[in-house]
Amino acid sequence: MAAAAAAVAAARSLLLPAARRRLWGFTERLLVGGSAGRSLYLGGNRLRSTQAATQVVLNVPETRVTRLENGLRVASEDSGLSTCTVGLWIDAGSRYENEKNNGTAHFLEHMAFKGTKKRSQLDLELEIENMGAHLNAYTSREQTVYYAKAFSKDLPRAVEILADIIQNSTLGEAEIERERGVILREMQEVETNLQEVVFDYLHATAYQNTALGRTILGPTENIKSINRKDLVDYITTHYKGPRIVLAAAGGVSHDELLELAKFHFGDSLSTHQGEIPALPPCKFTGSEIRVRDDKMPLAHLAIAVEAVGWAHPDTICLMVANTLIGNWDRSFGGGMNLSSKLAQLTCHGNLCHSFQSFNTSYTDTGLWGIYMVCEPATVADMLFVVQKEWMRLCTSVTESEVARAKNLLKTNMLLQLDGSTPICEDIGRQMLCYNRRIPIPELEARIDAINAETIREVCTKYIYDKSPAVAAVGPIEQLPDFNQIRSNMCWLRD
Amino acid sequence: MAAMVLAATRLLRGSSSWGRSRLRFGTPAYRRFSSGGAYPNIPLSSPLPGVPKPVFATVDGQEKFETKITTLDNGLRVASQNKFGQFCTVGILINSGSRYEAKYLSGIAHFLEKLAFSSTDRFGSKDEILLTLEKHGGICDCQTSRDTTMYAVSADSKGLETVVGLLADVVLHPQLTDEEIEMTRMAVQFELEDLNMRPDPEPLLTEMIHEAAYRENTVGLHRFCPTENIAKINREVLYSYLRNYYTPDRMVLAGVGVEHERLVECARKHLLGAHPAWGSEAAVQVDRSVAQYTGGIAKLERDMSNVSLGPAPFPELTHIMIGLESCSFLEADFIPFAVLNMMMGGGGSFSAGGPGKGMFTRLYLNVLNRHHWMYNATSYHHSYEDTGLLCIHASADPRQVREMVEIITREFVLTAGTVDVVELERAKTQLMSMLMMNLEARPVIFEDVGRQVLATRSRKLPHELCALIRDVKPEDIKRVASKMLRGKPAVAALGDLTDLPTYEHVQAALSSKDGRLPRMYRLFR
Repeated sequence: MAAAAAAVAAARSLLLPAARRRLWGFTERLLVGGSAGRSLYLGGNRLRSTQAATQVVLNVPETRVTRLENGLRVASEDSGLSTCTVGLWIDAGSRYENEKNNGTAHFLEHMAFKGTKKRSQLDLELEIENMGAHLNAYTSREQTVYYAKAFSKDLPRAVEILADIIQNSTLGEAEIERERGVILREMQEVETNLQEVVFDYLHATAYQNTALGRTILGPTENIKSINRKDLVDYITTHYKGPRIVLAAAGGVSHDELLELAKFHFGDSLSTHQGEIPALPPCKFTGSEIRVRDDKMPLAHLAIAVEAVGWAHPDTICLMVANTLIGNWDRSFGGGMNLSSKLAQLTCHGNLCHSFQSFNTSYTDTGLWGIYMVCEPATVADMLFVVQKEWMRLCTSVTESEVARAKNLLKTNMLLQLDGSTPICEDIGRQMLCYNRRIPIPELEARIDAINAETIREVCTKYIYDKSPAVAAVGPIEQLPDFNQIRSNMCWLRD
Repeated sequence: MAAMVLAATRLLRGSSSWGRSRLRFGTPAYRRFSSGGAYPNIPLSSPLPGVPKPVFATVDGQEKFETKITTLDNGLRVASQNKFGQFCTVGILINSGSRYEAKYLSGIAHFLEKLAFSSTDRFGSKDEILLTLEKHGGICDCQTSRDTTMYAVSADSKGLETVVGLLADVVLHPQLTDEEIEMTRMAVQFELEDLNMRPDPEPLLTEMIHEAAYRENTVGLHRFCPTENIAKINREVLYSYLRNYYTPDRMVLAGVGVEHERLVECARKHLLGAHPAWGSEAAVQVDRSVAQYTGGIAKLERDMSNVSLGPAPFPELTHIMIGLESCSFLEADFIPFAVLNMMMGGGGSFSAGGPGKGMFTRLYLNVLNRHHWMYNATSYHHSYEDTGLLCIHASADPRQVREMVEIITREFVLTAGTVDVVELERAKTQLMSMLMMNLEARPVIFEDVGRQVLATRSRKLPHELCALIRDVKPEDIKRVASKMLRGKPAVAALGDLTDLPTYEHVQAALSSKDGRLPRMYRLFR
């Protein structure tokens, strides 16, 4: 029989879910499948149009948005596929917790799969597996997401299941007890991932004593003590119509989705009675955390300054700046990321194993910085080169570099939107962050408006002479003291 | 500034029920740029004034798949698949990879992968190539496997002509300068180091089991360049290999999201009558060997007690992988084997992801859910044009290796037993959904079109494959499993191997009725 290479390719991607092509989706971290979701980089939208006409014709479907009376927003894009992704994007994450109940949002996400009034856990699992669907969820500091991937013909069932698990979860005492062990195990798993560890430390120091400084999983004592009442309280306070988006992409008809939304959420999801809980204020503090461990082979560190919130006009500019720094891995060799000056410098000086520039945004604040993995002996040199490069962005970045970074940013944003899950993810996130989906030509116009001068100005505003947050783990004896790092945030003549 | 925004947020938050994000920035502090204020100071939550109004496309019904194929006079095949959207993925697939390196230095394919998109006759450096692509919003990538090398570009469909020209240049006219080769040596060296350092040993085990299953031939040859060859591979070696394997009859130009006629036109212009960098002499020694399955064992004794890269401890594990020969993807039995692989499923004893990850597959139900000390049990199916390998990877504490091996051999033996209709239906549905979900993404469609046309000169469309999957019956599973169990096993083992059963015992267990290892009578332990 003739080949079924599709099945081969398919088998490969199922069994190695992490084996997503590096190049095809460099913003892969956006799609964190696990439960400690965290977006390192906020993509915007697709774009591409050149005419300065009053109309541009695009070969992509429209994102249709409808708001129900209870405030729930329904947003979808129909690309006619035979499979689809549908999910609930909720404006609630660990940021809404306090010291005592930190970990509740994540705990709740776990409990969603443990059975409802209608379905036992086993029923739910069998139903999903038998229809060849996938059900997944993740919690980040500001958002909680539940989504399903299924055949398009199963869209009604997928929406019904999503509605059931977030509205009728049993939250049984026995299941809660059992889940504590699972979450503690998950915590161990997170601790073996050094990038996760460093980012948790970075948040802990940058947002010390505020809600964003806490972890998503919460401390062990909370995981052991969170009870049914904490979970119920969290749902009744936060899972409200106006804070939820039902998003879908792939083979979905907006009208059908709207009917399903009305049927399953129309009467049950209420709006807030009285006041919406206030967004807890979070203050950035330039500071550091060092966890020295000379037995580890490599040093893992992150340094960041305070950036801006999702919707801030300077966000796009900082994303271009982020692209200018770029990312690199030593297996790329010398050629893969030549648009990044830093990549050339680190490659030729053999200064690190890898680095990754990031721009993590929250509602009203953000972290703009770089994560790197180095040999113990190159820590100081690497950091020095990074800071020098940052200063160059603030003072003397050139037009041609910026033009290239703008192009690259557009390309990466656009190419990433391939397949129903990345598109659905983008719709859900944008609806929560911007209350709309930014049309391609607009995003393009926003990127086009940037030039070297704006980069220099915006970078100076957020980076130059600003106190950074630093988190470092491993053999970091060489890491300069904080005052030294702080003083390198100004231009040094050499 | 941030503090101000924050204060404003707090004030506004309580009073409005929605549209918070718009109000969050209230009237922003006015910022003036010396450049004249072209830079918009409007939050992303509000539309930018003066932007042209987009006119969106609509889909009429479900997307139709249609693959068109044309063969050029020099034997090169051009295949295309239409797809909604403004981007295309185009690339060249070549019948080339580590399986053809028997008469060469092992590691050539690995080098070529790293050298891809370096300087050519027309482009002075990789940077020039990237710059050209960036003008069309494009990125490039090269991947090589044991039997296929793919050079691919994703870019705006309007740049098709440039992209095909560039691909032709990259494949047929690489300069392979000394500097580039030197850089590649470093990159390969680093990749080998990372391969041995990473906590996930799957790539290493896959390499080992291929080595054991196809002793010194074809797909059993090293996929990664052996350390001792890094310094030996140079331009002459590479050119002599390229001369034999980078020939038009071994290539497919595949495109997704392009018009077939235009793609063929571009192919004629850039790939017909090209004079490659290594000269136009005919290929002389093309390796046409058929894979010889030998079975056998590959062991790597290694101290895994401290693989953790950080302060959090990682348990010491011994990994085993046991495989049996399945069949080539050209045979009809390929589909039942793919279904069987889905039915075995498995994964990590602790893995992220909710229902849908295969919770009711046999390796979860019979292995991981029953034996909590097992760390991982996952089934893999590797398939080639002349052979295939179905294998199970398992890991556990070194003291329980014997028990672990026996659990896996028992699962293998059980595959030839009764197949429950419900579990079969589930596996079939999951295989179909996996297929369709993967084919949502353009690069996956590209790879599928390219690989199928390269191997068979035609493409089975997704719905045709689904029909074949739907037809699989319990008897088919039983039949292919029994056939598979009659073969010799391939075994790979990594870690502390003190308690590893001998190869003969594994073989005996797999050919027994109950999958048990032969009893060992020892007076003293």
